[in-house]
Amino acid sequence: MRKQDLQRLADFLWEIPRTYRDDMRVPGRVYTTERMLEQIVGDRSLEQLVNVTTLPGIQKYAIAMPDVHEGYGFPIGGVAAVDADSGVISPGGIGYDINCGVRMLRTRKTLAEVKPELRKIAHSIAREIPSGVGRGGPLKLKGNDLDRVLADGAKRAVEIGYGDAADLDRIESGGRIAGADPDKVSSDAKQRGHDQLGTIGSGNHFVEIDVVDTVYDDEEAARLGIAHGAIVVQIHTGSRGLGHQVATDFIRRMMGAMPRYGIHLPDRELACAPIQSPEGESYLAAMAAAANFAFANRQIITAGIRRAWPEPLDIVYDVAHNIAKVEEHDGRRLVVHRKGATRAFPGQPVLIPGSMGTASYLLAGLAGAMEQSFGSSCHGAGRLMSRTQAKKQIDGHELRQRLERMGIVAEAASTKGLVEEAPEAYKDVDAVVGVVVQAGIAKKVARLVPVAVIKG
Amino acid sequence: MYEILQHTADVRLRVTASTLEELFADALRGLMAVMHGATAGAEETEPVEVESVDVTALLVDFLNEALVRAHVRRRSFTGASFPSLSETRVAATLTSVPAEFEEDVKAVTYHEAEVRRDGGGWTTMLVLDI
Repeated sequence: MRKQDLQRLADFLWEIPRTYRDDMRVPGRVYTTERMLEQIVGDRSLEQLVNVTTLPGIQKYAIAMPDVHEGYGFPIGGVAAVDADSGVISPGGIGYDINCGVRMLRTRKTLAEVKPELRKIAHSIAREIPSGVGRGGPLKLKGNDLDRVLADGAKRAVEIGYGDAADLDRIESGGRIAGADPDKVSSDAKQRGHDQLGTIGSGNHFVEIDVVDTVYDDEEAARLGIAHGAIVVQIHTGSRGLGHQVATDFIRRMMGAMPRYGIHLPDRELACAPIQSPEGESYLAAMAAAANFAFANRQIITAGIRRAWPEPLDIVYDVAHNIAKVEEHDGRRLVVHRKGATRAFPGQPVLIPGSMGTASYLLAGLAGAMEQSFGSSCHGAGRLMSRTQAKKQIDGHELRQRLERMGIVAEAASTKGLVEEAPEAYKDVDAVVGVVVQAGIAKKVARLVPVAVIKG
Repeated sequence: MYEILQHTADVRLRVTASTLEELFADALRGLMAVMHGATAGAEETEPVEVESVDVTALLVDFLNEALVRAHVRRRSFTGASFPSLSETRVAATLTSVPAEFEEDVKAVTYHEAEVRRDGGGWTTMLVLDI
């Protein structure tokens, strides 16, 4: 796709008209600056967005957030709302890492107080929380014990001793998606995830200690217990191997079922089934179970950080950014697919982690999100450079030294993992957040900069 | 043979081979190379059977079956033979050794996958979610 294929609707909003391709059911919309759009058209994100517009039952438009980049099936940073009665559910519109998300914890410390102990604290967190591929956690659940986590999410984690009930009020959907059915999760998926609760995994997942360097909205920040100079902790991970396998199982099953429903799509990775079908209902129940596993995972990781941290930690909020939710918009029941996109209901905290070495944002959703983007915002900085390219261009030793010079402690199991997530591999998070703010989707509450990164 | 190509967030593999058996074996080798396991220990063999709607889905489903076994049992596949392989059904015997993987491949996707005859051989693209 070329830039001239899009029409500019407003300063930060562009549209791919329905006339771009015959099979489009609705237009595609892209929230971006002109400069970032020039980067976006460099990969296949917008062709993938056009493919999303062909989903049966899709409402108004398929949306790309400013952090959009090429994925498979859906672009990462994509939102699609479908009619809950006549539309389809597409597991690819949630992705393999079901309920990948971000949790923020607030400490009672300032940077000056933490600095002398920072390396020790980061090391203790790394010891408490396993990271890396295939690393198991302290908890190995099987049978009914695992099923109860799948049914009740973070609530079950609290019941078995990880945190307290007050934590649940600070998690999207209370840390438990209703309608989860553990029996819809395959034994392969359960085996793949049974020992991974309480683990971060690899890739772009991390635990990060940040300092609040700017407060934009005093009232909102005070409401969330955030102040200038305070230290917070972010956790970024999801449903690990269990969620990956749920997605694999259902994409395969739906691909086989599509001909029966007369559905033809331009990309098999968009495989879908009517929401009101045995396949659609089973997927939603399995997805909810995997999402609950992820909420429990972040709850158990929180307990590990609390063990490593010298004082009590409170949850600021916890958001899912790979999920489908049944929601009411304009009086209609819709299933909103968010793949690399965050719910941003008015007043709701929105957590936007940047890359290590840049900045992260705490935002609050605005009414504009309900009017424009089915109550959704961006989810991060968005990748710019492939992992292969990052490994070619970035020297691991130099990166470690650079982070050190910036005052950032890096506890990384592998230099390769560190290099792949280097700041230059990502878009400018300030520009990405600037777009959702200018578009009236969310407002800035605070900006955070990292002081320690713990990753696989 | 397989080649690792650029993809913004994930890994794109191009696989080419002179026979369909070789395509399946090379794609599995490529997948294991991306996961990059340090291996040590005794070899084992195991049978795998997969049926799918067409040859492209068969390759992706076969690789995903190998992937879940690799993750659950922490073993890397070092060899594959194919007692039976049609365009919709594969029966394979896989050889594996214990492994600690460095890259977490979440899944082999259907995106851009299209197994087709190319001149005298076979080819496909594969996008792996990592």
